Amino acid sequence: MKKNPAKVALVALVAAAVSLTLVSSSSNAATTLYISSDLPKQGGSADQSESTNKAIKLLLKRMNNKAGKYIIKFREYDNSTAAKGSWDDAQCAKNAQAHVAARDEVAVMGTYNSGCAKIIVPILNQDPKGPMIMVSNANTNPGLTKIWGPGEPAKYYPNGKRNYYRVVTTDDNQGAAAAEYAKSLGVSKVYVLNDRQTYGQGVAQSFTTNAKKLGLTVLSAGDAGEGWDDKATNYEALFTKIKALSPDMLYIGGIFDLNGGQLVKDKVKYLGSNTAVKMMMPDGFTGYPDFLALPEAAGAYLSFTGLDISQFPKGGVAEDFQDEYLLTYGEAPTSSFSVYGAAAAQVILDAISRSNGTRKDIFEKMKTVNISAAKSVVGTQLKFDKNGDILSKDITILIVKDKTETFVKKITIK
Amino acid sequence: MAKTIAPNNVAKSNRKWITGYSIIGLLLFITYQFLLPWEGLPLGIYDAIYRWMPPSAINESLVYIIMALGLNIVVGYAGLLDLGYVAFWAIGGYCAGWFMSEFFYFLNINFLGSVPAEAPGIHINFWMVLLIGGFVCAVFGILIGAPTLRLKSDYLALVTLGFGEIIPQVFFNGENFFGYNISNGTKGIVGVDSIPVGVKNLGPFDFGWKLLIFLLLTAVMVFISLRLRRGRLGRAWLAIREDELAASMMGVPLMRTKLSAYAVGAFAGGLGGVAFATHVNGVYAERFNFTISIFLLAMVVLGGMGNVWGVILGAFILSWVNGNGLTAFGQLYNEQFGTEIDFASFTFLLFGLVLIFMMLFKREGLLPESRLKLMLHEDELDQIDASSKSGDK
Repeated sequence: MKKNPAKVALVALVAAAVSLTLVSSSSNAATTLYISSDLPKQGGSADQSESTNKAIKLLLKRMNNKAGKYIIKFREYDNSTAAKGSWDDAQCAKNAQAHVAARDEVAVMGTYNSGCAKIIVPILNQDPKGPMIMVSNANTNPGLTKIWGPGEPAKYYPNGKRNYYRVVTTDDNQGAAAAEYAKSLGVSKVYVLNDRQTYGQGVAQSFTTNAKKLGLTVLSAGDAGEGWDDKATNYEALFTKIKALSPDMLYIGGIFDLNGGQLVKDKVKYLGSNTAVKMMMPDGFTGYPDFLALPEAAGAYLSFTGLDISQFPKGGVAEDFQDEYLLTYGEAPTSSFSVYGAAAAQVILDAISRSNGTRKDIFEKMKTVNISAAKSVVGTQLKFDKNGDILSKDITILIVKDKTETFVKKITIK
Repeated sequence: MAKTIAPNNVAKSNRKWITGYSIIGLLLFITYQFLLPWEGLPLGIYDAIYRWMPPSAINESLVYIIMALGLNIVVGYAGLLDLGYVAFWAIGGYCAGWFMSEFFYFLNINFLGSVPAEAPGIHINFWMVLLIGGFVCAVFGILIGAPTLRLKSDYLALVTLGFGEIIPQVFFNGENFFGYNISNGTKGIVGVDSIPVGVKNLGPFDFGWKLLIFLLLTAVMVFISLRLRRGRLGRAWLAIREDELAASMMGVPLMRTKLSAYAVGAFAGGLGGVAFATHVNGVYAERFNFTISIFLLAMVVLGGMGNVWGVILGAFILSWVNGNGLTAFGQLYNEQFGTEIDFASFTFLLFGLVLIFMMLFKREGLLPESRLKLMLHEDELDQIDASSKSGDK
């Protein structure tokens, strides 16, 4: 039988190719995978984002850049632009596409702003090789995971799979804890203000609902209280109106940046001291040295989703991580959100270490993530419900005393 | 200064560009639609494209170009300084939000929309919403223009500035607009219907198709700009720009001409607004702030006021630097030298320096309009060749 040289050559070629593939796959034992962060690195949140990225890098260093059999590298994305000075919707859309397109990238840590998450999550969800996982350290808007506004949360998950997780609890829980604490203070009549933004309205709304449920009288009209004008020069008219209703407490759902300083000053000026008419705010007022420095802030109650840095358990991984952060970077994390960023990365790495390195499998393994309190960098168990919300729903209540935030109570939502 | 400048570029052919534009467009389409998803593409090229010019960055640039072309008609052609152009972007965007999403969830209107008929909300076909957005903006352009056009220069700029602040504020606080929710406030309208292109509805990864659509819209704006400029209206705009009093003495109806500049400019804002809403799949009130108006104005000035190609170049460069270029350069630099410099935070420093140097050395922009160049260098030209501008004025 005469051999066909072409056939021989073909067989040889195939054999060579197969052996090459085998060799290359065996030498490929340690695959490099990328995880990324997606945060606003310009504008008001820049310091916070930098600190978060540092915390994640530190976490990776502590783990020798490894998760299971994979080498993990870290990539930073910026979802803000200079022209906007804050998170930019177009940039979020672009980053989302880039996450999907980067062939070596398997999961995303972010975002800081809930609005940005609402753009990115649906795109990652429809990734043909995915869905791709995103874990946030700071999104507190309930609509991302729970039934909230019209069409929420289903509209963020076009293919029905829940690829979004978060390590902080939601605004509705914060409002509930605040209402619970207000009742325990003996408050009976409360007036609610909001900053007219997504976040502020969300917290104010959940506070109002829960306060009514607990039998408190809510003097403000509307389901989220009254909006304050952040461009007003003073709030005399607003507080004179409120004074006539004689509330025991004022709840300010919003962010300090939106003229909160003037609001707080005028509150004390027209409504009286914070012992006579109590004042309470959500975490939009925490972590602001300018706020704490105000004499009018003394005695104000603050609530915070998750644990305050000072409340992280001592003697475990959590304390160790913070010490190392201080040692490495010469400063403490700007707020607990940055450490929660590391916690989010920890969750992702846990899923990767048990997976086969594909986005699809990491998505499956995310469902069973369970990091015990002893091993977690924030000192609480990291485990999620089927919506992607964290199970440990801790809310910290703080009081402003001697120009510092002082721990009062930890409320755990059931 | 060159003596060979054509005194009046209006007379140049207005059609030649179509061939060049189509070739560039086709190349881009092939690159992003077929080359990029191709598995055989070397990883180096793939990474380079994604680093320097990812598909969504180019689509975003095109939206900026559409806007800048619209603003160019108002500022570049008619010489009416507009500091509130972002308002039209907002109105266009919300038209998409209203007519192409589940925002009005209590209604169920579906007119050739790209979603199942039983979906709640108003779902009108993208191509019609484009027109609706354009015309709604044009109407607003006229409404705003009418009472303000008696004003001149600085005063007009102040009024447009006010307009540019008010409209976005209305949307910003639009959750309770006399008892009605018109914009969802800062929560924004999330989720806009996909674009139907006949064979299918475009998903989030069909960049190539979106690119083609955005290129088409840009082409429409270029066409409108070039044709209008050549015609009676365009010549009237230029006359007003150069000397309003003289123009009115020569019988140019000031009011009507200025209003049409606003209307056409606003129309582009509407097109761009609708296109942008489909690009980011939503409408967010926070985007529409003053800096965006200034940013658009900078694009027009940098590129060359009045020159369509200059404006396109200016818009492309600025949006690229802002969104992608500087970050990509920073990554490359940091990888090369092991530094950790945050280049993106120097964007404004760079913009500021560029504007200063432009004003010092090239006031007429990167690709100047020949007519404007003549004006800005009038005295130099007088000395060199007095006869070259005699045909112009």
